[in-house]
Amino acid sequence: MKKELKVIGKPIPKHDANIRATGKAVYGHDIVMPDMLYGAILRTEHPSAIIESIDVSEAKKLAGVHCVITAEDVDVNNIGYKRDHPILKTGEANCTRDEIAAVAADTKEIAQQALKLIKVKYKVRKGIYDVQEALKKSAPQINKFISGKFENKNTAEIFHYEHGNLEEEKKRSKHIVTRKFTLPRMTHACMATSNITASFNLIDKKLLLYSSTQVPFLYQRDMAHALKMNPSDIRVIQPVIGGGFGSKLDMHPFEPICALLSIKTGKPVQILYTREEEFIASPIRQPMEIELTAGVDKAGNFTFREINIVKDNGAYTSWGATTPFVIMQAFSSLYKVNAVKFDAMAVYTNNVFAGSFRGYGNPQATFALERVIDLLADELGIDKAEIRLQNANRKGETTGQGLHFETCGLVECLENVISKSHYNKKKSINKEGRFKKGIGLASMLHVGGGAKIYRSDGCGTILKIDPYGYCTIITGSNEIGQGSETVLAMIASEELGIELKKIKVINTDTDVKPWDVGVHASRTSFVAGNSLLGAIKILKEKLNKKASALLKSGDSEFEYSDNKIISVKSNDSIALDKVVREMHFSEPNELAIADYFYEPSSKFQDKDFKGNVSGTYAFASQAIEVEVDTYTGNVKVLDVYVAQDVGRVLNPLLLDGQIEGGILQGVGYALTEELLMHEGKILNPNFHNYKMLTASDIPNIHFSPVETFDKEGPYGAKGVGEAPLIPTAAAIANAICNALDLEFLDLPITPEKVLKAISLRNTKNNSKINSHSL
Amino acid sequence: MEFNIVNPKTKSELLGAIRKENHFRFGAGCTDLLMELKKKPEKDLTVINLSFVKDPLFTGIKKSAKGLRFGAMFTAHKIVVNEEIKNKYHVLHEAAFNLASTQIRQVATLGGNLCTASPSGDMACALVALQAECELMNTSGKSRMVPINDFLIGVRKTALKKNEVLFGVAVPANKKTTTNIHSGFIKIGTRRSMECSVVSLSYHVQLDKNGIIIQAGIAIGASAPTIRFAESACEFLIGKKLKTISQEEKERFADKVLSYASPITDIRATAWYRKEVLYNISKSILE
Repeated sequence: MKKELKVIGKPIPKHDANIRATGKAVYGHDIVMPDMLYGAILRTEHPSAIIESIDVSEAKKLAGVHCVITAEDVDVNNIGYKRDHPILKTGEANCTRDEIAAVAADTKEIAQQALKLIKVKYKVRKGIYDVQEALKKSAPQINKFISGKFENKNTAEIFHYEHGNLEEEKKRSKHIVTRKFTLPRMTHACMATSNITASFNLIDKKLLLYSSTQVPFLYQRDMAHALKMNPSDIRVIQPVIGGGFGSKLDMHPFEPICALLSIKTGKPVQILYTREEEFIASPIRQPMEIELTAGVDKAGNFTFREINIVKDNGAYTSWGATTPFVIMQAFSSLYKVNAVKFDAMAVYTNNVFAGSFRGYGNPQATFALERVIDLLADELGIDKAEIRLQNANRKGETTGQGLHFETCGLVECLENVISKSHYNKKKSINKEGRFKKGIGLASMLHVGGGAKIYRSDGCGTILKIDPYGYCTIITGSNEIGQGSETVLAMIASEELGIELKKIKVINTDTDVKPWDVGVHASRTSFVAGNSLLGAIKILKEKLNKKASALLKSGDSEFEYSDNKIISVKSNDSIALDKVVREMHFSEPNELAIADYFYEPSSKFQDKDFKGNVSGTYAFASQAIEVEVDTYTGNVKVLDVYVAQDVGRVLNPLLLDGQIEGGILQGVGYALTEELLMHEGKILNPNFHNYKMLTASDIPNIHFSPVETFDKEGPYGAKGVGEAPLIPTAAAIANAICNALDLEFLDLPITPEKVLKAISLRNTKNNSKINSHSL
Repeated sequence: MEFNIVNPKTKSELLGAIRKENHFRFGAGCTDLLMELKKKPEKDLTVINLSFVKDPLFTGIKKSAKGLRFGAMFTAHKIVVNEEIKNKYHVLHEAAFNLASTQIRQVATLGGNLCTASPSGDMACALVALQAECELMNTSGKSRMVPINDFLIGVRKTALKKNEVLFGVAVPANKKTTTNIHSGFIKIGTRRSMECSVVSLSYHVQLDKNGIIIQAGIAIGASAPTIRFAESACEFLIGKKLKTISQEEKERFADKVLSYASPITDIRATAWYRKEVLYNISKSILE
């Protein structure tokens, strides 16, 4: 099945690696336009308050200030997935991020000075920072833009899903385990802070945006809706993006604010977040409480899962509220399970709101599920590796939710990490002394061929070859650092026999590139790769025809290699650039150009959330060994064994990058990262106290790709981007529990939580304490 | 963040700048200063940039029979790579090595770490265990020697007078009869680099040829408003044979170290955690 390939599968460095490493890449922060002004935003002083008045008169008088805007000055629509988020706030503040006013000035310093001159009178309210408080009947309605769709006034969104006969499965369960897990706020902490440069042309009324969005076409539409403009009058150009991880899926208020400042002044305006602003005002991974009850029969087969999730929605609704789409897939379909009942609710509070974040709810779900699987195994007295293997999904399976696994490498992934980590030997290693070692297992299931959540999950490509034999790929997909443009260039090089240095990828301009839904759901190489292959096929038909005519052979089958088109039958060849020149410059004078729109085979889910939502599915398992210092509570992650069903390795170097980066992000989620809040305010808006891990914390990573060659993927490949982080926290938690014989139900498992649990056990001499009793 | 900057190139230019400037701060590696000024800008501030002052007594290291003398501008990186420090004053080597990151260690200075007077200063904690002395020079070029415990007087407070600059630091030589040194620095935090100590412990214990403790320096960081020298814990060790210290003695030693701690609860850790860990790691250095 594996065809001999020359470029695909080779460790080719990222195509922009040199310009990034040498500081030559042009990020949003590097953009300077003639006459450009600098924008700055005044945020509320209080997370919950009545705004009695806003006085901008002094700020307007300051020399160098061109414009000050408040909600009074603009005619706009609300933004957000539920349109419940005003761009500028008036009347009341509901969140520490709330934008009260904005300024455009000659310099950043003047803009900051102007903010200090704006006088806002607040009447401070007691906010609601706890979801249970928000659900009380006596609680005031936090978001006034959402009307009566749900019974409780502070409910932002509800999801319900079920399959199978729950009661029947409960009855035949030998053991049932219930646990409630609490998941923290984690922030993306992209290396490039949020940025935008907006330039409105007063003459033709067109808006140009240099923006770091992950979803330029959806963004164009959202921006047009917000500003009451025609989408096509907005041109979105993406500069080099310094980190996305899902944070740039939603359009955030600072972006239309920047556009409004440009519209008001007729000059380009740039807004750059400071690092502190980035921590305060950019999105987070949605915090939630997951209550999971699950059963197992006497033979060790999983019977049912019942899930209740309450998510802190914050004051406004972002894409983060829709994470149950993905969360329910993990619960309904990771390992075989006969019956599932799933309820999730997002609740408004005066806390900061979430966004999408790599894994899209799946790390939370997988943590709860994989912890409970360990407990079920313990109850039943069955080995933790064995119970997973026994229940693992198999090729050809269609799950209760309707996900169809045409290929499935889960068993192979599990077997791989169990064997390579020496799991069976290490699970019962001696636990005496100060340093205790433990090992944990976890797997994951994630979409691997896009996710049909918008009307189209497709991607367009325009492909051309110029008379010098260079190829340009104009793709709808975009690059946020994940390396997809390198993969696209490799595909073109493989298929057209053109060297990589002669291939250009154009992917940053909505005025130029064809439609694509955006970078999310680990979809880009899969969807854009297939789209490119479609365009290549069409272009080759044109080139073959011309080559055949020029070679006067009548051959119809050609190979492309070394910039030549070679007849398979006669081995006669002709230079590719010569064929293109002949196409262009001799009759009937046609371009060496092709376009193609690829739509994955996936289907929309029905109203009960059933259906095959992705073109294919990715699976992975991790076995992680830790060492816990019982004197300090520190957990050292020693070795991470990862096996991931990637379909086929397109570029091992880039794949390693995704695996390593994802795992370190997962270690942070497990052990250190949490955005701490008190009464709506963020306590650690800096790297000093937000404990994102660094290069020196990276554990030994032993990665084995599992290739299942899915016929839907380009060369058999599946999406890989999100998967590496999804099971990491779960496997680490299982390893810590194995090391200490204690339970941990909350993330992150900080040194203090570990030491407290050890100390409580020592004092109570009780071997089973869970961290909620701390 | 706006400030004026002066760049003295010699000792006399430096002393002249101190005399001349009214409202000034010293900038050495500036790793703390810039963060501080960003947070709390000071009006009409002049930063006296120390990094261009060319004076070996201010930037270098000198070994003598009395011990080591560091210029205040000696960097953390230079400490890390110095073999003499690594072998004979290991506590300082480890403290410097655990400081921030490779990049920051290139510019962060010993003097800066002391003058910032943070209770969690890593190199400062090691210097307290080593019972170093600070050389403060006034604008007339006269120096006075101040024991480090008297130099660090509070959170971000030192004994430095307005007309003085920290010019050097003297670390006393190990005892002549010392044949073995049990010396190290334990830093408690959640990540391996770019970490500010939640608790730290410096120990520099000298043993004679029989393995008897003849000199001990124990200091704790991030556990009180200043770095504390645990004198009674040091005295407790003198005369004991390191290898045969009993479990009960280890616990008594840890209790003594703990008696110097009066930690706070903040977002990085609770007081409970700081005490618990301090007790455990104190015990661990005798294990």
